[in-house]
Amino acid sequence: MENIFIILLGLSMIYIAATSRLAAHVNMLIVQGWLLFFVCLTGFAKEPWFNWSMVSGSGAIMANIPHIVGFLFVIVETLVVKAFIIPLFLKKVVKKTNAHRDTEANIPHFYCLFISSVILFAGFLIANIDAPQFKLIDSMYFGVSIAIIITSLWLITIKHKVLSNVIGFITMENGIFLLSLSVAKEMPIIVNLGVLLDIFIAVFILGMLVREINNEFDDLEVSHLSDLKDYEYND
Amino acid sequence: MINLILLFPLFACLILAIFKKKFLNNLMVNLYAVLHFIVATAACLNIELLPMWSGNRFFAADNTNKIFLMVMSIVFLATAIYNNGYIKNNEELTKKIRHYTYMILFFVFSMTGAVLSTNLGITWVFIEGTTLASAYLIYFHKTKHSIEAAWKYVFICSIGIALAFVGIILLTIATGNLNTLFYKELYVNAQLFNPFWLKLSFVFILFGIGTKMGLAPVHFWLPDAHAEAPSPISALLSATLLNSAFLMILNVFRITVFAGCDGYARIMLMTMGFLSLFVTAVFVYHINNYKRMLAYSSIENMGILAIGTALGGIGMLAAIIHLIGHSLIKASFFLTAGNILELYGTKKIKSVNGLLETDRKTGWLWVLSFAGIAAFPPSVLFISEFLMIKSMFLKGHYILSVLFLLLLTIVIYGLGKAVIRMTFSSKTEETTPISFGWNMYLPQIVMLFLAFLTGIYMPQSLTRILLAGVAGF
Repeated sequence: MENIFIILLGLSMIYIAATSRLAAHVNMLIVQGWLLFFVCLTGFAKEPWFNWSMVSGSGAIMANIPHIVGFLFVIVETLVVKAFIIPLFLKKVVKKTNAHRDTEANIPHFYCLFISSVILFAGFLIANIDAPQFKLIDSMYFGVSIAIIITSLWLITIKHKVLSNVIGFITMENGIFLLSLSVAKEMPIIVNLGVLLDIFIAVFILGMLVREINNEFDDLEVSHLSDLKDYEYND
Repeated sequence: MINLILLFPLFACLILAIFKKKFLNNLMVNLYAVLHFIVATAACLNIELLPMWSGNRFFAADNTNKIFLMVMSIVFLATAIYNNGYIKNNEELTKKIRHYTYMILFFVFSMTGAVLSTNLGITWVFIEGTTLASAYLIYFHKTKHSIEAAWKYVFICSIGIALAFVGIILLTIATGNLNTLFYKELYVNAQLFNPFWLKLSFVFILFGIGTKMGLAPVHFWLPDAHAEAPSPISALLSATLLNSAFLMILNVFRITVFAGCDGYARIMLMTMGFLSLFVTAVFVYHINNYKRMLAYSSIENMGILAIGTALGGIGMLAAIIHLIGHSLIKASFFLTAGNILELYGTKKIKSVNGLLETDRKTGWLWVLSFAGIAAFPPSVLFISEFLMIKSMFLKGHYILSVLFLLLLTIVIYGLGKAVIRMTFSSKTEETTPISFGWNMYLPQIVMLFLAFLTGIYMPQSLTRILLAGVAGF
């Protein structure tokens, strides 16, 4: 069941690679947030404690507090932050800066589609490696998340608008989130909280800087940000 | 007392936010610096001042990180004193200064957290915290160039640190059935780890945190950010932030040592170290901005630290001595660069002439800082670099040691050319004389004095602390 959601996550990266409208990219971030939620939900559904009886009566709630906290945390992380607050914030930035399209990518869109498909395919191949080391992880999660991370990094390098770079950064974080699900163990909740907070503030600061760049340079081309160098430098 | 330095910034920010008085800004930074210094000294001397406030599960001082804490304290105290004069000379809006103060407090807080943390995950969180806190500080002047530097800094470092998190996830795969990220438990159980995943995780963490530490080939944010930040911030970035990233790499490296697959990690550290030296040698040769020059010198010194770590044994001891010396001297160098920027209003090396005639004290501080960083005896860096070369000879790396010396010579030539041109040339144009208060000279004098003094005489107690810090590498 969760494989469907994971494959859809991989496909959403292909869609991001092939389109140029920033609003579509932000919508795909919402989709990715929901998909990550469903992946987590299917993971939870396999646990023996996960049913309605855990919230029936105060005694059951007290006994299941760590599980409930973990579950609530996942809801906050995927649905509230990844699928709601960050896309909402980015939509505002898109509106403020009037940057609706990232047209002049270094590579034509057809090739983007092709290359991201190849990366995803490589991810599926990784998922099918039959080595003793891969017994320690859930290989489907691992392969697709590596594909998402690599596609995001590659998209960051070819896109021309700073806002596209921010979106690439967030999809990379989604890939890392999926990777952390490939390990059966859970991080301590305090680490998870810190990670979530950091990513949230990082996106916020990047968004603020995008606005400042827009005010200072009149548009969001990355090429404006190449004035600092070691030769022929004016200050 | 450790909890105190982690809680104080939060209270200080709260007080600042409530009272909004101008005099409180500098007061809070100075108070925090003094408190930080007292706590670090107590930790180094193993004195428990307030047992109630001693560390907790997630933060504690141990043999290695207390050296880093002490270095950070000295540099922060010096920077805080300098900052008083700097703020007075820069007429800015009270609100902007208040934001600057918040961010300095948060910046030092997150560095302290990163250094003291006993858990790999928490260290990661605080290292990312340093990026976010210092982003505003780099953007402080709000010019086109500072926005570019801040953007590059946040973006490159965030991606690097995200990749380091991939490394942490891979490390949890390597740990098998052990579900913990506490360093102590990781060290004890290291031999049971899966070597394949451990090696892979070290690659990710080295490249990810190496971005923050400024190792080539992932150093690109560093010259821009150091050059555009206000000078006290440049000093903090170079002399404390890079060290705290280095500590995280060191801790993960120690896991590979305990797991017995450190050969591979050493090769990677060695490669990145020499690449850093090479990059500095290439770029510093024709440099035309003196703050960028100092930033490249930081990359070089981080490279030397990586090489020392890779060598192990005496090399590791040399790396720690080098770290102390570099922090003290480089902070003094950057603060003096701040004076020069105030005097001439430009960062171009060509436009700065006759520094000794313009301001004798600044000129001599500039020359002495250069002598320190170039490792002229009695600078403590002479000892560390000498030990490092000795260690290379002992291990039979003859070609590497020749390469090391050659690259260092090129770097010293590049630095020396610029420093001599700036100080000993004759003055061409009249600059408006600015007189600095004592607090813009004294911090540099004290730090240089310490760096030169430890080069001549290293007390027994200090040697003992250093040896305890590097035990096990």
